[in-house]
Amino acid sequence: MDNSLWVKMHGGTTHFPIALVMASALFDLAGLVVPENVGRSRRAGFRAAGFYTLILGALGSIGAVLSGLVISRGQLWGRGNLAHHHTFLWPAFGLLTSLAVWRLVVGNHASNHTFRIYLGIAFITAALMGAAGYFGGELLLNG
Amino acid sequence: MSIEIKGLLLGLAVAFGLLGVTFGLAPLLQPKKVPEGKREQQASAVSGTSTDVLQGEAKRGYSLFDHSCAPCHGDDARGDEGPSLYDLAKSDARIATIIKGGVKGEMPSFAKKFSDADVQAIIAYLRTLKD
Repeated sequence: MDNSLWVKMHGGTTHFPIALVMASALFDLAGLVVPENVGRSRRAGFRAAGFYTLILGALGSIGAVLSGLVISRGQLWGRGNLAHHHTFLWPAFGLLTSLAVWRLVVGNHASNHTFRIYLGIAFITAALMGAAGYFGGELLLNG
Repeated sequence: MSIEIKGLLLGLAVAFGLLGVTFGLAPLLQPKKVPEGKREQQASAVSGTSTDVLQGEAKRGYSLFDHSCAPCHGDDARGDEGPSLYDLAKSDARIATIIKGGVKGEMPSFAKKFSDADVQAIIAYLRTLKD
C-alpha cells in the first residue's frame, strides 16, 4: 500500500483518541460535580458520555498506533521529536487501554472513592495523549 | 475479589498484551539493517563519511542531522522515509531553501527550528556524503 495513505490515516486517526479521552475525562468530572439534587439522570448521562467517548478513544488509538508504526517503519523510539512523541505515547496507550477495559468490566459498580482515583488517572492519560500529539505535530510541521 | 480489582487486573493484562503485540510487530516493519561489519567497510571506503572524522561545521551539522533529519532520511543518510542524501547535485542555496521551506506534502519546513548557521552546518555535513 502507498505509504502516504498510512500517513494520511495516521493524521486522521490520531486526533480522535486525543479529543475523545480529554472529553471523556471532562464528562466524568462533570458527572462527579453535578449536585445530586440537580438530577440523577443528568449525572448518569455524563457518566455514559464519559464511558462511550473513552471506549471510542481506546478503539481509535489502536488504528493510530498501527498506522504510526507503519509510517515510522517499526521505530519504537527514534530520535528528537519522534523520541519525545514515543516517550509520552507508550504510557498513554497503555493507560488508555487499561482504563477502557476497567470501565467495561466495572460498569457503574465503582465506589465513589475508586472512581475519583480513576478520574485522576484519566486526566493524566489525557495529558500524556496531548503531549504525544504535540510532539507528533512538531514532527510533521516543524521537523 | 472485588469487581474493581478484577477490572484492574484485566485492564493491565490487556494493556500489556497490546503493548506486547505492538512491540512484537515493530521488528517486522523495520527495514533490513546492513550488518555492522559491512557498514564499517562501507564507511571506510568512503572518504570523510565516517562521523569520527567529521570536524567543525560538518560535525555540528551531523549532530543537527542526527536529531532532526535522520528519522526520515535514515541514520546513515542513505534514505528511509525520505530520499538518500548522498551525492546531492543541488546548489547550497537550493538545499538551504528546501531545508527552510520544506517540500509540500513530503517534508516539513525547518525554518523555525534552524538558524541560517544551522542550515549551513547541515549543508557542510551533507557535502561530506559521497559515494
